[in-house]
Amino acid sequence: MSTTLLEIEGLTKSFGGLVAVRDCSFTIPGGQVTGLIGPNGAGKSTVVDLVSGFGQPDSGSIRLAGEQLIGRRPDAISRLGLIRTFQTPREWPNLTVMDNVMLARRRFADESLWRSATRARRIRRSEAADRATVRDILRRFGLYELRNERAARLSGGQKRLLEFARIAAAEPRLIILDEPMGGVNPVLGTRIGEAVTQFAAEGRAVIVVEHNLPFIEKTSDQVVVMDLGEVIATGPFAGLRDNPRVVDAYLGMDMSHE
Amino acid sequence: MYWVSIVTEAGVFAILALGLDLVWGWCGDFDLAFYGYLALGSYMTFVLSIGKPTPPVQYILGWRLPVLLAMVIADLAVVLLAAIIGAIALRNLREIYFAVTTLGAVSALYLIVENYTPLFDGYNGVYGLINPGQAALNLTYNGYRILFAVVVLGLLLLAYLLVQRLSRSPFGRMLRAVRDDERAAAAYGRAVFWAKYRGYLFGAALAGLAGGLFAIFISAFNPSAWTPQELLVIYAAILVGGRGNPRGVIAGVFVVYIGFIELTRYLPAPASRPEFGPGLRQVLIGLLIILMLRFRPEGIFRERPGADHEPKGRAGDTV
Repeated sequence: MSTTLLEIEGLTKSFGGLVAVRDCSFTIPGGQVTGLIGPNGAGKSTVVDLVSGFGQPDSGSIRLAGEQLIGRRPDAISRLGLIRTFQTPREWPNLTVMDNVMLARRRFADESLWRSATRARRIRRSEAADRATVRDILRRFGLYELRNERAARLSGGQKRLLEFARIAAAEPRLIILDEPMGGVNPVLGTRIGEAVTQFAAEGRAVIVVEHNLPFIEKTSDQVVVMDLGEVIATGPFAGLRDNPRVVDAYLGMDMSHE
Repeated sequence: MYWVSIVTEAGVFAILALGLDLVWGWCGDFDLAFYGYLALGSYMTFVLSIGKPTPPVQYILGWRLPVLLAMVIADLAVVLLAAIIGAIALRNLREIYFAVTTLGAVSALYLIVENYTPLFDGYNGVYGLINPGQAALNLTYNGYRILFAVVVLGLLLLAYLLVQRLSRSPFGRMLRAVRDDERAAAAYGRAVFWAKYRGYLFGAALAGLAGGLFAIFISAFNPSAWTPQELLVIYAAILVGGRGNPRGVIAGVFVVYIGFIELTRYLPAPASRPEFGPGLRQVLIGLLIILMLRFRPEGIFRERPGADHEPKGRAGDTV
C-alpha cells in the first residue's frame, strides 16, 4: 500500500436546503488510480470542486500531503501540485497548442511583468529546455504537427488529448479527471486509459470521476462510491457487485458488463 | 502644419489604444472608464505645471513643476485611480457587469469634475500649457510643434516595443490564457484577479502618459474633451486594426483617425447645420464597426501567437 496523498475527513457542503455532500471521508494513495463513482446527483462533482478550491465546504478537512486545502484559492491549491479537469475540455482557444502546453509548465517566476519586460532574452533561453520537453509530450499525444494551430481548431477528441498533454507537462502530484470519457470514441478511450495508467505509474495519484464503469473497472486500483452526498463504499471494484447498497444506488443496474 | 497636428493627435491616441488593448484585447475586459484615465492624466499635468489660478478660475494644487515631472506624477495619480476602480470592478465582475461598473465609475468622475469647480474649474476646465520649454529650446512655434510630433511618435515607438515584447512574453501568454478561460487558468495555478489587475494598471499607465501628452498637444482640457463617444472611437480603432495585436492597434488608430475623422472634414456641410459633420462621423464609425464585425471580426492584423520552430529540424509525431 502506497502512502496517503490526499485525506478527506468529514466533508460537508450544502447549497441552500440541499445537502450536496454529507460527512464524506476517504483517502487517496499516491501512485494509484481511484475511481469516484455514483449516480447523478451523488455529489461527486461537488467533492471535486471542494478539493480543488472552486467551492468552500461548510465543514470538514482536506489535506494534500499534510497541507490543509480548505480556505485556499484554486490557483494556490494548484500550486501545491493538483491539476483538475472539467467535464468539457477547457483549452485556451486563441492560444496555440504549443502555448497551451507551455502554460502548463507553470514557470510562474517568468510571468512577472517586470521580468517579462526586462529579461526577454534570458527567459527565451531558459524556456528552450521546456520547449523541447513540451514537443516530446506533444509527440506522445499525437499533437506535434498541430502545435502551431490555435487550440480552437482542434476536434473534440484532440482537445481531450490536449488536456492530457497539459497534465503531463504540469507534472502534478494529484490529478482529478472529471468525466474524461465524456463523448470519447473507443479508440481514443484506449489511449486515455493508457495515459491514466501511465500517470499512476509515474507515482502520481489519479482520481477519475466517471459514469463509464468498464473504464473504471479497467483503470482503477480502488473505487469510492457515493450516493446522495455520502460515501457508501470504498475498496476494489470487484467487491462492489456484492455490496447491496451499491447495487441499490445504481437501481439494480448491471454492474458486470459482459 | 495641419498634418503635423493630425499625426501628433493620432500618435497620442495610439498610445492610449495600446493601453486599452492590454485591458480589452489581452485581458478581455470591456472597460468604459478608460477615457477617464486619459482625462485625469491631462488634468493633473495641467494643475501640476501651470501655477496658481487667477480668480475666478479655480483648481487644485496650482504647482509649477517642470512639465516632464508633472507628467510622471500625473501618471502615478492615474495608476492610483485605476488601482481603486480595478480593485472594485475586477475582483468578481466580468463582461457586462464589469462594463457597467466601469461606466458608473467614469460617470461619477465626470459629474464630480464638471460640477465641483474647486477641482478642475468645472465646465470651464483648465488651460495654459502652451508649448512648455519652447523658449528654452529656442524654437519657433512651428518648429516646436514638429519637435513635439517627433517626441510623441518616439514615445509611441517605445510603447510599441515594450508592449510587443510583453505580448510575446510569458506575461502576455498568461494574460491571454486568463482571458480565454479563467477557470482553466486558475486550475493551472494562475491568480486570476492579480493577473488582470496588473494588466489593468499597466494599461492605465499608458492612458495616463497619453493624457499628459494630450495636455501639451491641445493646451486646454475641459469636460467636453472626454465625452463617452471619444472612447468609442478608440474601440473602433482597435477593432479595425486587430484586437490583441499591437501592430494592428496602431494601424487601426491611424486608419480611423486619419481615414475617417480627417477625411470626413472635407464632406460638404450645410452652413445652417453645424452638427452635420460630427454627426455623420459618428454614423460612419458605427457603420465601420458593424462592417468589420460582419466581414473581418479579427481586424486587419489578427492576434498572432508566436509559432514554435524545432531547432534541429526533427519532426513528426511518434505515435
